[in-house]
Amino acid sequence: MIDAMTGEPSGLIPMIAGESAASTIASNIFNTLLKYDKNLELEGELAKSWKISSDQKTITFTLKPGMKWADGAPLTSADVLFTWKLVTDDNTRTPYGADYKLVVKAEAPDPGTFRVTYGQPYAPAMDSWAGLQVLPEHILKGQDINTTSFARKPIGSHYYQLGEWKNGERISLVRNPNATQGQARIDRLVSRFIPDPASQFLELMADNIDTMGLSPIQYARIFPAREELNRKIALYKELGNAYTYLGFNLKHKPFDDKRVRQAINYAIDKQELIDGVLLGLGEPVASPYKPGTRWTNPNLRPYAYDTEKAKALLREAGFEDHDGDGILDRDGKPLAFEILTNQNKQREMSAVLIQRRLKEVGISVNIRVLEWASFIGRFIKTGEFDAVVLGWSLSLDPDQYGIWHSSQQAPGQFNFIGYNNPKVDRLLEQGRLELNPDKRMKIYHEFAATLLEDSPVVYLFAGYGLPAIHKRVKGIDNPAPPAGIGHNAYEWYIPAPLRRTEISAQ
Amino acid sequence: MIRYLLKRLFWMVPLLVGISLISFLIMHLAPGDITTTEAGFNPKASEESRQKLREIYHLDEPLIVQYGLWLKRMGTLDFGTSFASHQRPVFWEKKDDQGNVTPGMIQEALPITLLINVLSLVLIVVIALPLGVISAIHQNRPPDRAITVFVFVGFAVPGFWLALMLMYWLGVVNPWLPISGLHSLGHENMGMLGRLWDLGRHLAIPVFISALSGLAGISLFVRNGMLDVLHQDYITTARAKGLPENTVIYRHALRNALLPLITLLGLSIPGLIGGSVIAESLFAIPGMGKLFYDAVLMRDFPVIMGILTIGAVLTLLGNLLADLAYAWADPRVRRGVMQ
Repeated sequence: MIDAMTGEPSGLIPMIAGESAASTIASNIFNTLLKYDKNLELEGELAKSWKISSDQKTITFTLKPGMKWADGAPLTSADVLFTWKLVTDDNTRTPYGADYKLVVKAEAPDPGTFRVTYGQPYAPAMDSWAGLQVLPEHILKGQDINTTSFARKPIGSHYYQLGEWKNGERISLVRNPNATQGQARIDRLVSRFIPDPASQFLELMADNIDTMGLSPIQYARIFPAREELNRKIALYKELGNAYTYLGFNLKHKPFDDKRVRQAINYAIDKQELIDGVLLGLGEPVASPYKPGTRWTNPNLRPYAYDTEKAKALLREAGFEDHDGDGILDRDGKPLAFEILTNQNKQREMSAVLIQRRLKEVGISVNIRVLEWASFIGRFIKTGEFDAVVLGWSLSLDPDQYGIWHSSQQAPGQFNFIGYNNPKVDRLLEQGRLELNPDKRMKIYHEFAATLLEDSPVVYLFAGYGLPAIHKRVKGIDNPAPPAGIGHNAYEWYIPAPLRRTEISAQ
Repeated sequence: MIRYLLKRLFWMVPLLVGISLISFLIMHLAPGDITTTEAGFNPKASEESRQKLREIYHLDEPLIVQYGLWLKRMGTLDFGTSFASHQRPVFWEKKDDQGNVTPGMIQEALPITLLINVLSLVLIVVIALPLGVISAIHQNRPPDRAITVFVFVGFAVPGFWLALMLMYWLGVVNPWLPISGLHSLGHENMGMLGRLWDLGRHLAIPVFISALSGLAGISLFVRNGMLDVLHQDYITTARAKGLPENTVIYRHALRNALLPLITLLGLSIPGLIGGSVIAESLFAIPGMGKLFYDAVLMRDFPVIMGILTIGAVLTLLGNLLADLAYAWADPRVRRGVMQ
């Protein structure tokens, strides 16, 4: 099976490489202790089970017995411990160490047990153990993880192992006979690096690749118009991992006024954005979590599109059109601001639609589009912006302390909008200390409700991922579960007569 | 002659230092560094760990110190390793203690870009020369007009559009040529000839596209050169002697008309290592253009500096080479150099 990616990974040790291309490929090679199932609930991967102590500070993982690395060496808790040491080592060039450094004691009392103890209960820990890909100690011991050639010829334990890496062209993975999670049904996975989406699409049409992620235009306009494509290619729809929002700089006037924020929220037609920007291929969200998972509060609804309410709220906040120029003003100052965004077509188009809707209620908006590094360096870090259109991920773990807690406002931290709400702070702190999923759920439902009411950002939409896969690939769940269609990729198969000859010949 | 050469080479050193200093400063004027681009917006990446990375790469030092460090490394011809790309060597391969060889980034990208550019330059010269000569002979008559229109259409047509159209017609509708990439799957199992054939098929559209836009320049250059020469007295003399028209044109006129072309080709040497970002992205070719563009977006300073330095060296060498070739071809210039 051949897929296409836009970027090439720099290496296949994800904690070092960092980019999404690396984690996509590495997730077929390395195992994690835990993983998310199709409904995005945690289950064991290398771990058979895990136990949380009564003070919620210690987690004991019991590993599945008899696991092996692809080269035949046994995979034990010593490897997990080794990986933990690596990611927390100060010499390791990784930006992802913070979660793991909270572990005050990690130990491997016997080959089948791995135990970590935290200074105080830390609920996102579970998620972090689903993110740390375990590396083999017997190969990496004594090597410099930053420069080791292991990154270009990794030995893992998951379904696949590296077959061939042709720089700039493709990576081929072949089935790992010693895989810890059973055998995948597809023999070979090839990822070709094709930076241009139009070229990818041509390759898909010409049958040279089997799958790619489509854009809304390709999905909603090109496919319906082309009978012959639909005959050989199946389209899928899965909820994406991110949402787009309009965020305010809460330290600037007039965004310190909740009524202004709510008014803007009412004045923006989210359905129009979804129809216009995503051609209908998205969903409105009312909390920063994936709809359909347990962390999403089912009682919350996005702000309806209601210009009357918006105007009333603005009037209440003291804004009126005194000089008759169509723009509201207060104390002689017009209600005008600038929306910044980076070079991303969907965000640019959203900003334009927002600009028009806000004009209707008497708010004047300018739009400025910037290159990513200057955007972050010059405006986000310094806090010199009015409003931004950006995206956050719909995180699988509900902890969003870094984004919303009032202590996270220093330059380079992620609460750059300057949100400060004591109630939200308290809930975020509680949520981190509670490892019981049901109790935790209640905390985050309340958190999401407060956030929605306070409206520090306007949730615009969450777009769908739109994979297209050749119909010869069978065994794909449709419609997609919350985790997306890829959750059972190892069960996909291609019936023998439909396989590519150039691959099966090898 | 040797003295002239040595003098020219010696003067290249201060020029190179100047070029590298300016490119270094301009590059660092752009906001952000590798720590903003790599994991800059991931809430799991803390500011402390990013600060740590900055220290490791010396990005927290004053600019002039960073330049000094870079210059010191360059003194030993060490281009360093990439920030972004898992510490791969920027220029040439490195061997570690266990004998694992990590290929250099420029080392891999350069031959691909060179191959495409040389092929297209050859194609341009091979096509543009006769076109230019024909235009000059038939000045202002239909063949001349037709050729001029053709080369200008080729020059003006947006390359990416034509590329997509060709990919669609020759790859999807009539699957004769591969659409993107450099090698087919299963390339390893082909014989030597099979591999060459495979590579040629992959390169056909990219080379054609990049040659098409270059036709106009060279063919008009040849045409004008020819016209100048054809009006010279010695051509009239040759004709008056009763020489056949072909001898007049190809022996007497063309040779002299080609002189300025030498300069033009010499100056295009540095261009040979620069790839087009758009074409390389479209055709999924891992060449220099893509390498440089990605490095700039990632603020991968060692890679940017490596490419700029090599580009500067080649530009200066190309100029020198053009001068020397000119001296070799034209006795008048040769005397000037000797003195």
